[in-house]
Amino acid sequence: MSVSPRRLLAGASALATLAVLSVSACSAGGSGGNANGTAKTLTVNTSFVLKTLDPGRVYEATGLTAVHALYDTLLTFRGSDVSKPVPALAESYQASPDAKTFTFKLRQGVTFADGSPLTADDVVFSLNRLKNIKGSPAVTVSGLTVTKTDDSTVVVASATPDPNIPVVLSMPSTAVLNSKVAKEHGARDGADAAQGDTAQQYLDTNSVGSGPYLLKSYDPSSQVVLEANPKYWGTKPQFSRVVLRNMDVQTQKLTMQRAEAAEISLDISGKLLDGLSGSLQTSGVQDTVYFLFLNADPGVSAVTSNLKFNQALRAAIDYQGIAALYGKGAAPGAGLVAPAFPGALPAGEESKRDVARAKALLTGAGLTNPTVKFSYPAITYKGVDLGTVATKVQGDAAEAGIKLELNPQPLTTFLDEMRGGKSPLGFTPQSLNYPVADSLINNMAPGQATALRSGWTVERADPAVVAAGKKVTETLDLAGRATAMQEWQRLMNASSPYLVLASNSSIVVATADLTGADYTAAGWQVDVAAVGRK
Amino acid sequence: MTTLADPKAERALGRRRWLGRLRGGSASRPVWRQPITVVALTILGGWLLLALLADVLAPYDPLAQSADTYASPSGAHWFGTDSLGRDILSRVIHGARLSIPLALAIVSLALLVGGLLGLAAGYIGRFVDEALMRLTDLVFAFPQIILAMAVTAAFGPNTRNAVLALVIVSWPVYARVIRSAVLSMRGDDYLNAARLLGVGPIRALRRDVLPNSIGPAIVLATLELGNAVLLLAALSFLGLGPRPPAAEWGSMVALGAQDLSMWWVSVFPGLAILTVVMAFNVLGDALRDRLDPRYTKGR
Repeated sequence: MSVSPRRLLAGASALATLAVLSVSACSAGGSGGNANGTAKTLTVNTSFVLKTLDPGRVYEATGLTAVHALYDTLLTFRGSDVSKPVPALAESYQASPDAKTFTFKLRQGVTFADGSPLTADDVVFSLNRLKNIKGSPAVTVSGLTVTKTDDSTVVVASATPDPNIPVVLSMPSTAVLNSKVAKEHGARDGADAAQGDTAQQYLDTNSVGSGPYLLKSYDPSSQVVLEANPKYWGTKPQFSRVVLRNMDVQTQKLTMQRAEAAEISLDISGKLLDGLSGSLQTSGVQDTVYFLFLNADPGVSAVTSNLKFNQALRAAIDYQGIAALYGKGAAPGAGLVAPAFPGALPAGEESKRDVARAKALLTGAGLTNPTVKFSYPAITYKGVDLGTVATKVQGDAAEAGIKLELNPQPLTTFLDEMRGGKSPLGFTPQSLNYPVADSLINNMAPGQATALRSGWTVERADPAVVAAGKKVTETLDLAGRATAMQEWQRLMNASSPYLVLASNSSIVVATADLTGADYTAAGWQVDVAAVGRK
Repeated sequence: MTTLADPKAERALGRRRWLGRLRGGSASRPVWRQPITVVALTILGGWLLLALLADVLAPYDPLAQSADTYASPSGAHWFGTDSLGRDILSRVIHGARLSIPLALAIVSLALLVGGLLGLAAGYIGRFVDEALMRLTDLVFAFPQIILAMAVTAAFGPNTRNAVLALVIVSWPVYARVIRSAVLSMRGDDYLNAARLLGVGPIRALRRDVLPNSIGPAIVLATLELGNAVLLLAALSFLGLGPRPPAAEWGSMVALGAQDLSMWWVSVFPGLAILTVVMAFNVLGDALRDRLDPRYTKGR
């Protein structure tokens, strides 16, 4: 085939145009503009989990990062410390001795981005709206009543004692909206708000808060752009613009390898951290636990409901080896509370392997070569392929004479089966939606919703575990609760259907020029407004 | 091949024209001696040998885990190790035991199902033909891999269901080919003669129609073998193939694709898929060139 010179020339010029266009497109993006180190834009790369930026409905990781930067809450957490909420819109608060009533004194002189003052009415409206539109985050405030006593005082009351209310009121979903503007665009806070509220579409593309940033643009498939709020009442953020970019994790790794300044990645974790440039900084806390659940119902499995088998499987697993699979920032399993949260078991109490004991327990129980179907969701969670971990568990168990038949399932099938309580043995990760570890008692103590999915009724449980759980909920000071939680977990590790394999960190990777790029387990991953330059 | 039937009768009925072509009767070089075909056959022969002698040739147990995770290729582990410290060379070799026989099973079953339905559609005609052809249209309406994913997801992921799913998505093409071959011979004198002699439809189908129409379908089946290996690997890559910890090439590529800096985890099983698929395709092409009249005309 011959090609005419004219055609060649046309082809070459088309290629040249394409090259010029792609170069200019690259420099228009976040990282290119930061190459000289003086740009005012902070780029945050993350694999988007984003459905909405409406504070009353936000529940997904990327949405929480943005909403935390756009809105203020009564209290908040600084840096990566989630043990104690600190003042934000409320300059102080008082708790009643029975932990049922909390009185918040609002900071004076706070204005929304449009210049109008923030009052107790806005707080009451926002919290009532969150409760009544019954979105995913409403569960955290469902038992609360919010009233104002004057323009700068708000009282939050709970029907049952709940020392965690200050923590709940630090969550991005409890953000305070400019009630006047929100109402103009369809926001409602009445008992019928679930039907009457039509503000989501507006709130997805406009922010009506008092936070350090304003929402400039919102595209849930590619990027969200925030710009500094000129009327922000607190310390002004150092970056005038923040771009959240949707990027898969492999591309994040490549991007961070080449990034020179003002760039952050939220999803590079586990083994993916290997080979990352040494000049990058990382910050992470162990906020996720991975555990097995054995069905305690003899009707589902005579094997997994046998306590001796339960204990044999615990002894058979190579916890150190499993933690190594997760890479940097992981630790062998200890209790159900991840190390990031108050109430976690201290270092040194990690579970340990003892194959000989496992074999002896199986012999004692009269179980020879027990076979169990082992279900897990065929997904990669926080950079870790659950199938790889399950295969390792299978290999470990085989050494003790336990045969696990791997049953990888699509996530929805796995969840359906788990909820149906039909899995003899399953494997799942668990991250807390808000940093209150004793919420686990409400789910995983004997007879509670999650425990029942594993057939763990109060009758089948050790009475000591039931009593220890009760003690946690009856303790009203947070430090006492943390100690009670530890005791509860020690008893759980002896006989509960949950077998904690490992805990793993979520990691923020940042370029070397940044400060304050700390990962937090509070839900918003990183406080972009606190990120500055060295 | 000469034992199939009386050669005289074959010639008289114009039967099995396609078989004769294998012998290289035309002016070009015989199909088995073309260099590219020889290379393809050597590769396939090599893989078959590896599959047969996997237990002897693989240096390690393909399922044995070790603490030596993500070891790069070395003298101890020629293809390196994966995230659980399993030897990738041994897993690639044992993978041949799954991929090649399963591809053969998929194609044979699809040929059987498609062939029977195609024969029925072409020979009986009318309502049966309409119904069966609309059914093939229905299957063709979906992209193969999507339909296979749906079927596997519905039945649950394991080897049997992956094979079933791929048979379900691949039979229509054989049904179409055989049906068209049958249609082209309907009304031929030898069929009419057989009918006048009192030959029933089953016997006519078996003795006269099938041998004359199976040729193009066999060619197609050879071409489709590569496709079957690829589809099976794709299903397995998506987590819908044989269950872990089975050494299957597609799932091995998926494991390696999580972190491409450990390139050896996905590259070697990927190369295995590449060589087998290429070899099957070259072989299929060569067979088609030789056997399918439409491609040899004008040479």
